[in-house]
Amino acid sequence: MFKYILKKEFLLISRDIHALLVLFIMPILFIVIMSLALKNTYSNTIDTKLKVAIITKSNKQIELLNKEINKDKIFQSFIVNEKNIKTLIYKQNFDLIIDIPKEYKKQISQNKKNFAITLYTKPSLSYQNKEIFKNLLTKIISKDIMSGFFTQYKLDGRTLALLDKKIYIQDIYKNEQFNITPTSVQHSVPSWLIFSMFFILIPISNTFINERNFGTIARLKSIDISFLSIIFGKIIPYYIINQIQVLLMIIVGIYLVPLLGGDSLQINGNYGLIFIISSSISIAAISFAILIANISNTSEEATTIGGVSNIILAALGGIMVPKYVMPEFMQEITKYSPMNWGLESLLEVFVIGGSFNDVQNYLFYLIVFALSCLTISYVILKKKENI
Amino acid sequence: MSIVISNLSKSYKNNLVLDNLNLTIEKGTLFGLLGPNGAGKTTLVSILNFLEKKDQGEINILGFDYTKEKSKIKQLSSYVPQTYAFYPTLSAFENLEFFGALYGLKGNILRKRIQQCVEITSLEKFLHTKSQYYSGGVKRRLNIAIGLLNNPQVLYLDEPTVGIDPQARKHILDVIKEINSTKQTTIVYTSHYMEEIEYLCDDIAILDKNKIILHEKKDTLLKQNASIEITTNNETLKLDNNENYEALRVKLNELHSKNIEINNIQLPQGNLEKLFLDITKKELRD
Repeated sequence: MFKYILKKEFLLISRDIHALLVLFIMPILFIVIMSLALKNTYSNTIDTKLKVAIITKSNKQIELLNKEINKDKIFQSFIVNEKNIKTLIYKQNFDLIIDIPKEYKKQISQNKKNFAITLYTKPSLSYQNKEIFKNLLTKIISKDIMSGFFTQYKLDGRTLALLDKKIYIQDIYKNEQFNITPTSVQHSVPSWLIFSMFFILIPISNTFINERNFGTIARLKSIDISFLSIIFGKIIPYYIINQIQVLLMIIVGIYLVPLLGGDSLQINGNYGLIFIISSSISIAAISFAILIANISNTSEEATTIGGVSNIILAALGGIMVPKYVMPEFMQEITKYSPMNWGLESLLEVFVIGGSFNDVQNYLFYLIVFALSCLTISYVILKKKENI
Repeated sequence: MSIVISNLSKSYKNNLVLDNLNLTIEKGTLFGLLGPNGAGKTTLVSILNFLEKKDQGEINILGFDYTKEKSKIKQLSSYVPQTYAFYPTLSAFENLEFFGALYGLKGNILRKRIQQCVEITSLEKFLHTKSQYYSGGVKRRLNIAIGLLNNPQVLYLDEPTVGIDPQARKHILDVIKEINSTKQTTIVYTSHYMEEIEYLCDDIAILDKNKIILHEKKDTLLKQNASIEITTNNETLKLDNNENYEALRVKLNELHSKNIEINNIQLPQGNLEKLFLDITKKELRD
């Protein structure tokens, strides 16, 4: 009997084109687009440098400054003849414009009171990039002035010149054997995978509501079969579909994203833990879907309530906007989104290389969330359907 | 007896829907349940199919106690709701296979039973087409076919011809008659169409104001309703039900001798609708 219940559910889903689009095509698109779009944010190399224009009339000092800026990994500098700032920013697409006095070294050493350097920037340029450039400029000018002193007083300035190369950046992984560099795909795959897993509510609520509204549920109740069998007959196929989503999205991360120019998803072989996490997320998502199906009267209502809830949970849970860019109070709110519990668990595995101990709290929250949804659904069902 | 109901009551909050209802339905009968909207027909059928809980009363179905032997009753009865209670994106075969499996059928037995139900309801041509593309009549037939899968001894049909054309309706009524006559299946049939009940059922009950207010064999009911009415300028004379055309002749002679002008003579109707209106004082769709 169970075989036929499963067969029926699989047939229903396979013929629901909208559900298939939401469950499989939407996350693939999100993973590909977001992995490529955020590639530079995570990457150690920069594909597109920010464009800097120096509008001061060229001389030896300005050329040296231009050369030093061009040594940087983030910025690309040009000495330009154009003086109109708006033209440079909005027509020639420069991100930063430097207006610096031609003899700036002399003015600094003479401590001129009216000395100033002005940076004109595109409003959309991030605050971090503005500050980074300001610091770079300060460093270049300071180094230039300092090297003058070293030469004048015949001092050994080799250490100062090599200082840049003497500062080492090293990523510290929770798991020492885990040496995967975080990339956008490591973040995109878990994020959009969880988002799409929660969209299992579309086919679940459609089936539940149609069964209720078409009277199929009444027919099922009149047959000598336990209501729990019917419910489990629904949960298991959707659980399997969620696991197919996990497998497919991992394959997309490993094989499709690099084909399109992104980084490849790397997994450190902890498939067992990924399975435990994905199972917990799936149970939470299915339970939430059953709750939405029970509180909604029509498929349209369920799709609206469920869709909006999912988007809110995703926005709050760090799916749409990474948690680290949120202000502190928003980061605090993310702790209450089940999508965040799932995301933090998967990120522990995908990005940090964490173990079961690191994710057990999140898994516990997901299971408690699932049980709460199922309990409320049972109470509603009992009242509505006299089960 | 197929169904014996004693002192059945049901209320929703403070609204009494069934009040100490008593009803007996004989085995193999095609039983028609009539009643205006809100009379409690659906509630009664829902209780009999375990979709609603009763407040009090005793029910015995096919010799089994309703409270203690729920499982046995469910195995021997079947409920066909008014709605198309199947999956529209599945074909007739897929629907029948699924519901058949729920009735515990499998393998060859399941396939054989599907074939039988398909033959009874003439669904052969539509077997592998998605049911969402069927006409109303074919959908109704699939609805009934699913209800026949467990070879029920009691079949509940809740308004099974709503929203279909007369030709399709005739087909369905013939199918129901055949099920009843060939398998001796007790059929509990509720409908708004009194001509259907009159055509189909041999045992009829009217449910109104939470009670069975009339329960008779169809022949007896129609006979009771066969009165002759003579309308004069002053009054309408109703001859007793048991009076025949000879009585009419005598009465006409009497009126004629008194020089009373006769405006109209209404001959026996034998019509269930008229009887229903006389008894309930309501239109069926009130």
